[in-house]
Amino acid sequence: MTAGTTDDTPTPQPDFGPVLSRRTLLRGAGAGATALGAGWLLDACSSGLKGGSSGSGKKTITIGFVSPQTGPLAGFALSDNYVVDTIRKSSAFSKGIKVGSKTYDVNIVVADSQSDPNRASQVAKQLITSNKVDMILVTSTPEVTNPVASVCESQGVPCVSTVVPWESWYFGRGAKQGTTFQYTTMFFFGLAEFGKTFIPMWDRIPNNKKVAEMFPNDADGTAFRQGWPPLLQPKGYTGVDGGAYADGTTDYTAMISKFKSEQCEIYVNGPLPPDFNVFWKQAAQQGFKPKLATVAKVLLFPADVVALGDLVINIATDAWWTPTMPYKSSIDGTTAQQLGDNFTQATGKQWVQSLGSTYSLFEVAYNAFTKASDPHDAKDVADKLRTMNYTGMCGALNFGGGPVPGVGIMKPAGVQWKKGTGKFPYDLKIVDNSANPDAPIEGDLEPTNA
Amino acid sequence: MNWINAIAQGLLLGGLYALFACGLSLLFGVVGIINLAHGDLAVLGGYVAVAILPSVHTNALWALLFVPPIFGAFGYVSQRTLLQRSLENGPLTTLLVTFGLSVVLQNALLEGFSADSHSLSIGKLATQALRINSQLSISYLRFGILVVAVVVLAGVQLLLARTSVGRQIRAVADDNEAAAISGVNTRHIAGIATGIAFVTVAIAGLANGMYSQFTPTSGSSLLLFAFEAVIIGGLGSLWGTLAGGCVLGLAGTIGAQIDSTMGTLIPHLVFLAVLAVRPSGFFPARAPA
Repeated sequence: MTAGTTDDTPTPQPDFGPVLSRRTLLRGAGAGATALGAGWLLDACSSGLKGGSSGSGKKTITIGFVSPQTGPLAGFALSDNYVVDTIRKSSAFSKGIKVGSKTYDVNIVVADSQSDPNRASQVAKQLITSNKVDMILVTSTPEVTNPVASVCESQGVPCVSTVVPWESWYFGRGAKQGTTFQYTTMFFFGLAEFGKTFIPMWDRIPNNKKVAEMFPNDADGTAFRQGWPPLLQPKGYTGVDGGAYADGTTDYTAMISKFKSEQCEIYVNGPLPPDFNVFWKQAAQQGFKPKLATVAKVLLFPADVVALGDLVINIATDAWWTPTMPYKSSIDGTTAQQLGDNFTQATGKQWVQSLGSTYSLFEVAYNAFTKASDPHDAKDVADKLRTMNYTGMCGALNFGGGPVPGVGIMKPAGVQWKKGTGKFPYDLKIVDNSANPDAPIEGDLEPTNA
Repeated sequence: MNWINAIAQGLLLGGLYALFACGLSLLFGVVGIINLAHGDLAVLGGYVAVAILPSVHTNALWALLFVPPIFGAFGYVSQRTLLQRSLENGPLTTLLVTFGLSVVLQNALLEGFSADSHSLSIGKLATQALRINSQLSISYLRFGILVVAVVVLAGVQLLLARTSVGRQIRAVADDNEAAAISGVNTRHIAGIATGIAFVTVAIAGLANGMYSQFTPTSGSSLLLFAFEAVIIGGLGSLWGTLAGGCVLGLAGTIGAQIDSTMGTLIPHLVFLAVLAVRPSGFFPARAPA
């Protein structure tokens, strides 16, 4: 599979001509092997030399961008190609980034992680050794961001991640409280913000304060299982853990029975989207009907929502960006509303939250490069990332003021899926802005099951 | 009551497993092919529905009308062209050929449909259920799948036992050369048997698409469950396959009831235990089928 890995760098293929005899095939294969071997050596040399003599007249900044464009997580990456195109066309990037007195051309190389952690670290290595990227931007769940960030940290390449709870990103890579990653940074939010978004919504629906928790046995699930109880207790809620099930489980009878016998009226989760599809259908079949379902990691995007149909109405989740938030681009002043509208106009698809976060990745990269003294000086660029403090498409982000160094915190809004009133079958409406007072309320919070 | 529900859901899930295992059991018991591409063929069935459905009807149940016949023809042709040749080269060749077919199918689907997951929509039927009491409810979809599994298995059984084609298929399975001497067109008959097996694979693939979601690479886990059901039930025995599927389903739901982290592990442990204690399965076939 070579699809989507390198947008801009065609791989030269030996041309065997019309007649392919056994001999020419063997010769060709031999030549190919030699070329591969040589390439490998060159890669090794150049990465060895990297930090030392980078200013050899190269006037291009290369940015690698990794997201899960295919596979179970593909919903997260739906708008990524559109955003990359928009960024490429924006005057700030198309005219080149000015660093000091020099102007650098910008080359953005897009890679697909195929929703597979091994593939993600593979493409990150490829971007570093073959494309010689100056920075890697990566988005969407720890399965993508963590392997890429780990490669970047060990190879000394500046990296910005997003759309991953910071706990999964930080502790998931073996950090202890006090650890500082030198090259890798991120912006998104964490469990505290999930709590600040979800609990005020629970409080508004009269319930028995029993919370059904569906957390799988993976990076996010483990972080959630440890992180939710301390948030619940002070507010008087009790969690009922459904158990650390394996991703890809085909039957949730035991978990549903447990939630029903404990009479849980609130539901919170952190599963993979296909697993939630099976669970939520089965919950409906077996009559588990929580008064309010607040989901994380799933139903963030219209594609998942359509697959479940009317079962999604009044399920609540978090939104880290909507077109109605009063934010605008720090590089060319495009408003959030314009970004959303332009996306719908260009693709015919409904806006998605990742439009904002992916856009901000490039804003952060732009800001770091313009502040650095030399864009090829990885240490300097990474310094600028760790102290990043700016206001843009996702509001104010301060990488120096987060819970751990190099982590910027976004403020999500509480949203619910409602029956669509316009062009699309379901609309995402802001129903609670306790965690982000900037967000305008667009609808009433209603129980998932009355 | 939770236990009764776990048992009920396990049996229903067993229907899906048995439906998957039916084609595998038939192809092995009658034609003598261990089909490693079985799971991928089921997934292919789902994708054929995804490709053709929009032009037929939005409800995926309609796919049951056209996907299985397409697969029947596909099965007959692939037996006559690909599988028969490999069969004449010995059992190892068929293993390699079907393994190759599996790799080709997965990658062709990746190219054609990308790695995105799909689901077959059957509207409200997907979530409606018969409420027996507050703890026990029987999903129409899952019950429907179990019924289809029983009907398919009974149909195949009847066909083999009562019809002239069935007699010829059994004759070919028993002794290929003797059947040929008696005037049976053995290749044609093996083609028909493979066609029937492929029809059941297509039905299983569609059922799986309605039950959950599928991607080009989800075939291997389906193959695993089908294999385990066949081995637990006894190679080549169709009713044993149903029993095997139900044992697997029950092991999963009861295992999860004991400890939710065990839901995926226990069925595999049960399979290993059966292999160790009774390698020929619970209902080993005396004669094929």
